[in-house]
Amino acid sequence: MFSSELLAQTLIAGVMIGVIYALMALGITFIYSIVKMINWAMGEFYMIGSFVQYALVVYLLGPDLWWVAAPLSAATVFLLGMVIEPILIKPMFTQGIERRDDYATVVTIALLLLLRNLATALGGPYQRNPGSDLPTVMIGPLPESGARFAAFLCTLLALALFYLLLKRTWLGLALRAAAQSRIGVETAGIDILRLDQVAFGIGVALAAIAGALLAPVFFVFPTNGVVTTVKGFEIIVIGGLGSIPGALVAGILLGVVESLGTAFISSPYQNAYGFLLVLLILLIRPSGLFGERVRQA
Amino acid sequence: MKRQLFALVDWRRLVLVAAALTAPLLLLPLVADAYALHVLTISLYYVILAASWNLLAGVTGQFSLAHQAFAAIGGYGSGLLVRHLGAPLWASMPFGVALAALLGFALGRIVLKMRAIYLAIATWAFAETIHILLTAAYRFTRGELGLTVPALYRSAGPAAYYYTFLVLALVSVLAMYLVVRSPMGFFMCAIKDDELRAQSFGVDTVRVKTAVFTLTSAFAGLAGAFYAHYTLVLSPQMADFSEMAKLIIMVVVGGLGSFAGPLITAAPIQILTTYLEKYGEWDMVIYAVLVIALMRSYPGGLAALAGELRGRLAPSRPRHAAPKHPLPDPPP
Repeated sequence: MFSSELLAQTLIAGVMIGVIYALMALGITFIYSIVKMINWAMGEFYMIGSFVQYALVVYLLGPDLWWVAAPLSAATVFLLGMVIEPILIKPMFTQGIERRDDYATVVTIALLLLLRNLATALGGPYQRNPGSDLPTVMIGPLPESGARFAAFLCTLLALALFYLLLKRTWLGLALRAAAQSRIGVETAGIDILRLDQVAFGIGVALAAIAGALLAPVFFVFPTNGVVTTVKGFEIIVIGGLGSIPGALVAGILLGVVESLGTAFISSPYQNAYGFLLVLLILLIRPSGLFGERVRQA
Repeated sequence: MKRQLFALVDWRRLVLVAAALTAPLLLLPLVADAYALHVLTISLYYVILAASWNLLAGVTGQFSLAHQAFAAIGGYGSGLLVRHLGAPLWASMPFGVALAALLGFALGRIVLKMRAIYLAIATWAFAETIHILLTAAYRFTRGELGLTVPALYRSAGPAAYYYTFLVLALVSVLAMYLVVRSPMGFFMCAIKDDELRAQSFGVDTVRVKTAVFTLTSAFAGLAGAFYAHYTLVLSPQMADFSEMAKLIIMVVVGGLGSFAGPLITAAPIQILTTYLEKYGEWDMVIYAVLVIALMRSYPGGLAALAGELRGRLAPSRPRHAAPKHPLPDPPP
């Protein structure tokens, strides 16, 4: 049962899926670090991203141009996020709401129900597949489906772009400053509410990229964001809320732990390994591996 | 001390209100058909869940997302004991409740020091773990196939179950009311308003918070155990996040933190959902929009809306329209 080849295969598969999960977690943690809220509807933006990708590939561009469709899907969801944020999230700061965390949780869970049920009501619960013509790729000893490998490479590209945006642009500087201190940014004369809007848009666009890239792998249906969101939140807990390196490391860690557990222990429990890891982390280090120190009040 | 415990309860008013509200419910089986009674029975299950979650999230401010999991623990705890050990119901159902209370206590201890956001994520992770374990351990729980459990009564019509759930809901809500009106209830409110401040005034926040977690989980487990032996088939769907979302809708529409609000809205929402099922998912879309609209205009839900209307109709009573801590608008 145990062989080094199987081990290598498992590790590679784990890293590849882990990086894509990390993209989702990055969106959650990024929004949290600026806007100080958890967006529970992240999976629904993933779902919308995959639906836009499906529509573009099937009706407009064709499967060969999936790499054109993916950024377009992300851009669409970015704009959608920019529209939704002022309606739902901005009142948190402008209307003097006392319990902001509760408000954000309730509102984003309502948004989750709204988008998910709207998708089912409009498009039905069916699974759609945009298809992929990419040939199977051999990575060392492991044959990997072309779509999955392409998703992995594009995720790396998206991560690189995200890094450049944060480190090399004025906007990135402002966003990093806002993550450190909202008041400090305001003092510098930057419209923090505008920054919130942009951050929300970027965060949900990250989820949409994951949705668009994984559309041919995990298919397109109204609840396809659930599993990825679950992984995203697990990664957040393991890596620490608000930490970008934490999201990346924890994403890969989760991917590897899940593949190892599935390959060597028992496969029906695939989704349980991550949660056991999460509960373990919560018990010994509640703020996560890279998390900010939890401070009261 | 003992005599003062419920000094704040106006017993006469309580009995009057309870009797006035229950009398029509007692007569319902005379007019409702079997299916309507079934819908009502299920909606009473949600009344208990919504009321107990409101106690935890609304009154104490511990915004847990694991309440549906405790109902599942109560149901599965009882059902599995019957299935694997052949235990009688009078033993298995208290076991399910005790298991829910015990796990509620444990979860309460884990999240004790967490801020609101971490608490929501941790409780959510706990609930998902329960959901996944119930699905994955199919050799033990029969997973998605569903666990068949024996019925509460050997041969009884829907009316008997309806009355059982009515009594159960009544007793639970009464118990919760007494908790809210006892000194414990004031400690709970104090923790919600400002935990650090409550602590500095000598409230044992650790004990109150764990007690509330244990108590509300036990109520959820109780409701879950009865639900299990009424519906006869248990599925992991019981621990699904959508159940939690439904509870949130019920409580938020009624008024998060208001005692009466969720009691009044929980059943109608469940009944509407059941009867509107044939129109697909639109009812959930409407509820979601309603919740968003309420959160933006009346965060106190329908209870706050009703309070304002009453204030307008009877202007002699003082109105509490002004926010407690007016915050200055951030500079543009």
